[in-house]
Amino acid sequence: MLRGFYTAASGMMANQRMQETSSNNMANAYTTGYKADQGAMRAFPELLIEQMGTKSLPVSKDLKLPVSRDVGSLNTGVYLQEAVPAFTQGDIKETGIGMDLALVQKTTPDENGMVFFNVQNESGEIRYTRNGNFTVDGEGYLTTNQGYYVVDQNGDPIQTEGMEFAVSVDGDLSTGGQVNPLGLSYSSNSQDMVKEGNGLYRPGSEGGVLAEVRGNPEVRVELKQGFLENSNVDPARTMTEMMNTYRSFEMNQRVLKAYDQSMQKAVTEIARLR
Amino acid sequence: MINRSMSQAAVTMGQLQSKMDVIGHNLSNVNTHGYKSKTSSFSSLLYQQMDNLSHYEGEANRLTHDGVRLGTGAKLGITNVDLSQGSLQNTGRALDVALLENNHLFGLQVHTENGMDIQYTRSGNFYLNQMDDGSMILTNSDGYPVMGIDGNEVRIENDFSDISIDKNGRVVVTRGEGQSVEAQLNVVEAVRPRTLESVGNNRFRLPDGVAANEVITDVVPQDIQLQSETLEASNVNISNQMTDMLMAQRAYQFNAKSISTSDQMMGLVNQLRS
Repeated sequence: MLRGFYTAASGMMANQRMQETSSNNMANAYTTGYKADQGAMRAFPELLIEQMGTKSLPVSKDLKLPVSRDVGSLNTGVYLQEAVPAFTQGDIKETGIGMDLALVQKTTPDENGMVFFNVQNESGEIRYTRNGNFTVDGEGYLTTNQGYYVVDQNGDPIQTEGMEFAVSVDGDLSTGGQVNPLGLSYSSNSQDMVKEGNGLYRPGSEGGVLAEVRGNPEVRVELKQGFLENSNVDPARTMTEMMNTYRSFEMNQRVLKAYDQSMQKAVTEIARLR
Repeated sequence: MINRSMSQAAVTMGQLQSKMDVIGHNLSNVNTHGYKSKTSSFSSLLYQQMDNLSHYEGEANRLTHDGVRLGTGAKLGITNVDLSQGSLQNTGRALDVALLENNHLFGLQVHTENGMDIQYTRSGNFYLNQMDDGSMILTNSDGYPVMGIDGNEVRIENDFSDISIDKNGRVVVTRGEGQSVEAQLNVVEAVRPRTLESVGNNRFRLPDGVAANEVITDVVPQDIQLQSETLEASNVNISNQMTDMLMAQRAYQFNAKSISTSDQMMGLVNQLRS
């Protein structure tokens, strides 16, 4: 049997999926607060191939001994194991609009630490976002551009009383003498954050609620009003990745064709009678 | 499945076209008095959770959340209006007035199919229109009456030698030797100006189902800040718009490239059986 047949096919499928990841990154190259997904390929578990046979002993009685011999290991293909967002700071763009907020991360105790805005999704659960393109709804509450409430430290929607509000670098939103601390959360391992779409994240396997940024002296973050954080997708790099993936896909296709030619030989030539 | 990267890119291209529409609209209104530039920002679309792990034991020590999440592109999240003050332009015309405070608006009485509607505008190029009884009413350039302080139109009896509007919105009329204040313009403040709906011709209205007092408050005459013989130019920043346009065009090209790469990949698949 030609084992590599499906290996080549799995290579094509994995590259296809990789291409989807790159293409989604490219689509979001100008999405505020977007974090690029990085695909990681992984080989399927290895098979150990063993040769099994018999050996006849040179004695008058036809004595046979079973023998087995390791041939070697074989990988049965590859798959896209994970696509993890790369949580690096995006560059900051000035918009001059008071409702736009950008998070600028200064120092974090953990290598993969990341600070997020807290918002409330449609079922009332707390979700996290880096997209600070906020607006004020008809009732005066601060919302994301999807209409989700941006919440304060206690998880309550923030009443802004109109559009004239000021946000300090520490994240205190003040309107007409009232000070509302914006909800800011810190994830010590951002690799665990799961994308939900619309720029929202939730904590993954560990679940639960992220820790507060306030009161944690090791996390230093600055809020900038009138600025937005750009997507951290690098179009040049993504394009290169796409070309790379394309060629890898092409190579796997060639291998698949080569296998097909071997099969063709088996079908048309080996069985030919002259 | 093979079409996913194509649809991601195609969806995003459609949305980028809407962004180009917004930019095009801004650029065409560079010389519109009182026009407020519109901003648009992108947001990522939904993610699909894909269970790609058939062999959980082999996935031990995985730090990230199980499965892969594949995105579906990006969309135009929101278009917002930038309400900053435009530059002032001296016209020397007595009935041109510019509002000097952010979010202040003139009221207009507009006749629609549904009867009388109060609409708002920032553009202060007013005119006098003669009525059947010989008196004059103050209108905007489309002929809709400008609202006076009591909600009625601003009506001036004929036979005056001069008319002007002072900095508090009072209409000062000169008859013979004496000057007298004969009307007071109504100026409102939009507390939540983003709730207002554009109706074209530089006018805004309250969306249906929104209580007026939540969005609009009256400004007391002493707080009105007007400059006569002046118009407010549009606040469109051409260089910003051009940069945005270039960016949107490049993003469009990048996504088109994603499509053509996926197309070539599909071509390779087709060649498998040739």
